[in-house]
Amino acid sequence: MSKPAHKIADINLAEAGRMVISLAENEMPGLLKIRAKYGANKPLDGARIAGCLHVTKETAVLVETLIILGAKVQWCSSNIFSTQDHVAAALVKCGIPIYAWKGETDEEFVWCMQQTLVFQDGQTLNMILDDGCNLAQLVYSKYPQYLSGIIGITEETSSGELILNRMFNAGELKTPCISVNTSVVKAKFENFYGCRESVIDGIRRATDVMLAGKVVVVSGFGDVGKGCASAFKMFGSRVIITEVDPINALQASMEGYEVTTLNEACKEGQVFVTATGGRQILTSNHFLNMREDAIVCNMGHFSHEIDCDWLNENATTDRIKAGVSRYTLSNGRHILLLGAGSPVNLACASGCPSFVMSNVFATQVLAQIELFNNKAKYSIGVHSLPKKRDEEVALSHLEKLGIKLTQLTIEQAKYLGIQQDGPYKPNHYRY
Amino acid sequence: MSKPAHKIADINLAEAGRMVISLAENEMPGLLKMREKYGTSKPLDGARIAGCLHVTKETAVLIETLLVLGAKVQWCSSNIFSTQDHVAAELVKCGIPIYAWKGETDEEFVWCMQQTLVFQDGQALNMILDDGCNLTQLVYHKYPQYLSGIIGITEETSSGEIILTKMFNARELKTPCINVNSSAVKAKFEKIYGCRESVIDGIRRATDVMLAGKVVVVSGFGDVGKGCASAFKMFGSRVIITEVDPINALQASMEGYEVTTLIEACKEGQVFVTATGGRKILTSNHFLNMREDAIVCNMGHFRHEIDCDWLNENATTDRIKAGVSRYTLSNGRHILFLGAGSPVNLACASGCPSFVMSNVFAAQVLAQIELFNNKAKYSIGVHSLPKKRDEEVAFSHLEKLGIKLTHLTVEQAEYLGIPQNGPYKPNHYRY
Repeated sequence: MSKPAHKIADINLAEAGRMVISLAENEMPGLLKIRAKYGANKPLDGARIAGCLHVTKETAVLVETLIILGAKVQWCSSNIFSTQDHVAAALVKCGIPIYAWKGETDEEFVWCMQQTLVFQDGQTLNMILDDGCNLAQLVYSKYPQYLSGIIGITEETSSGELILNRMFNAGELKTPCISVNTSVVKAKFENFYGCRESVIDGIRRATDVMLAGKVVVVSGFGDVGKGCASAFKMFGSRVIITEVDPINALQASMEGYEVTTLNEACKEGQVFVTATGGRQILTSNHFLNMREDAIVCNMGHFSHEIDCDWLNENATTDRIKAGVSRYTLSNGRHILLLGAGSPVNLACASGCPSFVMSNVFATQVLAQIELFNNKAKYSIGVHSLPKKRDEEVALSHLEKLGIKLTQLTIEQAKYLGIQQDGPYKPNHYRY
Repeated sequence: MSKPAHKIADINLAEAGRMVISLAENEMPGLLKMREKYGTSKPLDGARIAGCLHVTKETAVLIETLLVLGAKVQWCSSNIFSTQDHVAAELVKCGIPIYAWKGETDEEFVWCMQQTLVFQDGQALNMILDDGCNLTQLVYHKYPQYLSGIIGITEETSSGEIILTKMFNARELKTPCINVNSSAVKAKFEKIYGCRESVIDGIRRATDVMLAGKVVVVSGFGDVGKGCASAFKMFGSRVIITEVDPINALQASMEGYEVTTLIEACKEGQVFVTATGGRKILTSNHFLNMREDAIVCNMGHFRHEIDCDWLNENATTDRIKAGVSRYTLSNGRHILFLGAGSPVNLACASGCPSFVMSNVFAAQVLAQIELFNNKAKYSIGVHSLPKKRDEEVAFSHLEKLGIKLTHLTVEQAEYLGIPQNGPYKPNHYRY
């Protein structure tokens, strides 16, 4: 089959890409430990992994880790704006098939995914590493002939996990999957700390706006919403939360946030951040009641948290700069939409910091190893990574932070009914 | 069988007790909603509940709720220091068999538990409501003849959960149990927020010490440790964490705490708080290296987190005031030991605030209802409260806080694959 060996923005950016990848490695001890631990016995030898995940310096360290562990990979981005072109160039220079650039169209996005399905030697993918279930859905809907050869799917996001679960409940899923999103080191670290570190970054780089004293409305108080709210609070914004789940609503209140509906908050807020995992959270009703030049952005995986279609059909738009559009509504007021609704930390900044992605991606690697090497253990369905693996990932990050862990004595471990070296907590423990 | 109808400190305190119970009711909307919702159908009619849980104004509202729902109860405390004598008096005045007073001996503690086993009409208990598994263990070890009549056990604490789980794993458990500790509204509310609100209270009422600028060592970064650390941080203490679990250790670091071992931290800390759920966390090795007049206290359920026996056998003691002992060590230095190692917020203050206990106790009530009315549904083992019940509890607290919940549209609910009225999250969701 004839296809390009790769497609990226500019191969000449490779040197700059390699520089940032090297710096990222310093912050990614989890992935480096995995290379040290598994690099010799190559547990992914024979794996042909099609990856669909933002092509950033962190993902580069992930991709190179998979290769060291014996895998072949072909890669595309899970978002049209998030590719770091210099990183893509550095990977291509090493001979890795990358199909990604910053500013793809929706059609190009799909085309890139299609290029990852068949490898250079003509063999098709046998593993999927997904981020929002885009690649999995493409294969299921357009290339079902490849399904029987796919051993497993690892999925990164809440949104993607939702889709896989729906497929399973509808009897449509044919592949064992691991949802990395259910791992503690993902849910509690990327979703919470990663977003806390980077949401401000995205908004600041896009708008330079002062946040202290602003009213910021965060829709959703899951891990992402918690992280975002915490960041805005630290900068002196007054944060209002909207929530559908009474438990999360109560948590928000316990942290001192007002919890109300968007119908009320839309008149008051100056910055709006969606982080629900749902659809059509911010709609025309809200836009038309917002204050002049309200900033609107999303931190969920999919842009449909904001009704961007309505904006595009019912307002005129001016491009302020890359990633910032100013919409003029029928009432004469304006809205600043950031990143066209893509996660603002990725679209307008550099995504989550490397250290937190090291936790997540180490989990992805372990999940790939689990599925690829333990076919009998994983039935068709959406599984979680065993807790021991979760703890293994966390442990690999302690030295970098100078953390000194306490060791349980034999007696203490026996009293708690656990092993001295873990797992330390029951499966229902919430962290 | 002849036994006293009750045993408390002083019946004349009853009026003061009723005053504080009424005030507590204002802050316990969850329990009041239970009375409103279930008071007519009386789902606990026929239940003979032996309760072993701190006799506080909040527990009084719980007890009176169980009675409104049709139960008979007999009650003792789960800690020798935590009884609020005026509350105990008022309950007795209402005809409720209470066996509890502040400052019981260990032998009296056991005697009190024994009084709850057989009811006035000669019938034995058929439900246990436990807090640390004390009553359960008493029945299993000393009164196994009652086991066949016990329909279910609801347990409140992590420590109790560990014991029940060990019993189950050793095939010794003969009773269906619900572990309230695994409910989100317990784990995430009592333990984080309840402890955050009240740990300072306990230390302050005992010592009046200035916390800003002090080095505080919190052992354990589970929910209780998180709440405690957060409180000290808010007051300007420098908090050091010790942890055995790499995931919790990483969480602590993400919040800016140094994480090291007690061997190192014991030389630096000025206040020590244990919150691990384990045993012998603070031992002689640490005491002998502590700074002069270091304050030592516990926030876990059991005193054995601190090696109190060693202190009592190897140091002389002066009583500073109720709940505060000053130990003189062999090296001439002193330690201020609070509450004899009982949870300091209970031993030296008033425990968790009523509002947070309303969440926990509403969960207890629902757990009792579940077990008592659904025998076929719960096998021998340690179960969690269904998530819908968790959400029901949270929901009942929103109005008091002025929270306005958002409602999912039909389309949004369909997209998420959940009912419009919940459950809103999968079982593995951590909050």
